[in-house]
Amino acid sequence: MRKGRPFLEIFTYALDEDYRFPILEIFAFLFALGTFVFADFAGGYDRTGETMAYSLVNTLCEFPLMFIFVVLILKNVAYGLGGDLDRGVMQTLFSYPLKRRHILTARLLSGLGIAVLLFLGIQIFGLFLLAPDTLATYSSTVFLTYAAHLCSPALLLAGLLLLLTLRLKRGGLALIIGVILFLAGLIFSGEVTYIAYATDSDVILKVWAVINPNTALQAYYYETGVSLFASESWAPSFSEVLLYLGAGYLIVAVLFIVGYIYFDRRLEI
Amino acid sequence: MRWITLLWRIGTVALAIGLALLVAWLIPSSAEYPYRMSRHIEPEQYMTGGLEAYSPQNGLQISVNATDEVRVYLLGVSSLELDNWKTLLREAYPDSESPDSESPDWVRPDMEIFIEFYTVPLLFFHEAYPEETHLSLNDSQTWDMMWDVAVLDKGLQTHPEIILWDPPPGSAFSHELFPADVLNIMAVVANPSSNTVEVDVEIKEVLAVAPKDRIIFPAQLLISIGIGLTIVWLVSRSKGKFEKALSDRG
Repeated sequence: MRKGRPFLEIFTYALDEDYRFPILEIFAFLFALGTFVFADFAGGYDRTGETMAYSLVNTLCEFPLMFIFVVLILKNVAYGLGGDLDRGVMQTLFSYPLKRRHILTARLLSGLGIAVLLFLGIQIFGLFLLAPDTLATYSSTVFLTYAAHLCSPALLLAGLLLLLTLRLKRGGLALIIGVILFLAGLIFSGEVTYIAYATDSDVILKVWAVINPNTALQAYYYETGVSLFASESWAPSFSEVLLYLGAGYLIVAVLFIVGYIYFDRRLEI
Repeated sequence: MRWITLLWRIGTVALAIGLALLVAWLIPSSAEYPYRMSRHIEPEQYMTGGLEAYSPQNGLQISVNATDEVRVYLLGVSSLELDNWKTLLREAYPDSESPDSESPDWVRPDMEIFIEFYTVPLLFFHEAYPEETHLSLNDSQTWDMMWDVAVLDKGLQTHPEIILWDPPPGSAFSHELFPADVLNIMAVVANPSSNTVEVDVEIKEVLAVAPKDRIIFPAQLLISIGIGLTIVWLVSRSKGKFEKALSDRG
């Protein structure tokens, strides 16, 4: 049997489990309609160019749409993978002539890869219909903003939940913890700027920007536009923003590598 | 069979996205804040109306009625470009006279305000007459030169990228426009004839979830693809069931 065949078998199985009809369709509908309903150009009126493009994408990656997206990937990672561990399906998957890490890759490719493709594909298609000139002119800003939002909360939470699910071998609890972490992050994001003001120090902002690179991006873009809250006290340069984004992805990578190592060597079934 | 199932799921996703676009298309738009203006335009002169910021979700509806044939344009300039032009004009006319230099300061219209409100016509004038560095706004000759159709034509030739709508000449116009980016849009009505023309212009702000003309075609296309792929799957499934039933009987 060729090596690709069992991988494809597991990938198809995971796809079937993660996106039972009509889950994929409901999420696609919500992402598509949400792109038009939640797009907000009003924030961009006083701003120009890149800041406006950032502001627009930011509105599409905030609470309702990002929450729906995070729920989808957390469901796939925690509930899908956790369900396989809980119900003993993983034992069957281990009988395939595949390394453990390839089994996990097939599972994550379905749970995370397809969800990210769906979310980004639909939103960029919606933006192309809505504001083609903005998308064409400021494509790098659009890409950077999506990269920051995908890093945290989406991939960061997915990595954390992967570890939790593998440790607990149950998806339900991990899913609840993931949702709580998402909401806690949302609340803290709002508070962190006030804390920076109250303490008259931007250290907390910088620490938070490592975990959530969008904070650095926000400080960078709004500094040149309409001044907003803490960005007045901290205005990173573009290379610093890239550094924070890189640091954010490094944390995500470490979480996934630890998850892979645990799954490969320590997971006992 | 797996490929058929995959195609079916791609089809249902396309159908879902198409339906979402259809819902966005069905959400009614509202036309608000009408801005009306009635003026007469001297022979071979032009006028401008409003310079407001519009976005892909906040377009405008314009209707123009004239007593004779006129040319109408909608011009769109980004805020960045507009700021650059204002800076250029401030540098080009550093010591220009205000319309009534003898009046006290508080009644004297400021050149800065003039640049703010008439950036585009002033830029066209500057490009047509670059040698005029001392702008006297109280001079009727300068004023006539500024609003000359020839100045407008030269300006539009130099900046064709700002023309968003350029219908053939006529006496009645109506149009709805949603820009593809956040743009400052102004209406221009030009009278190329040798007679004075009375013009009524009405501009309304249109608020919509999405520009209807840009989403209806993708919606139709995606729904058609979705239905097509679902039919293929249904036919293949019924064929499979039929063959199974036949083999069971046999």
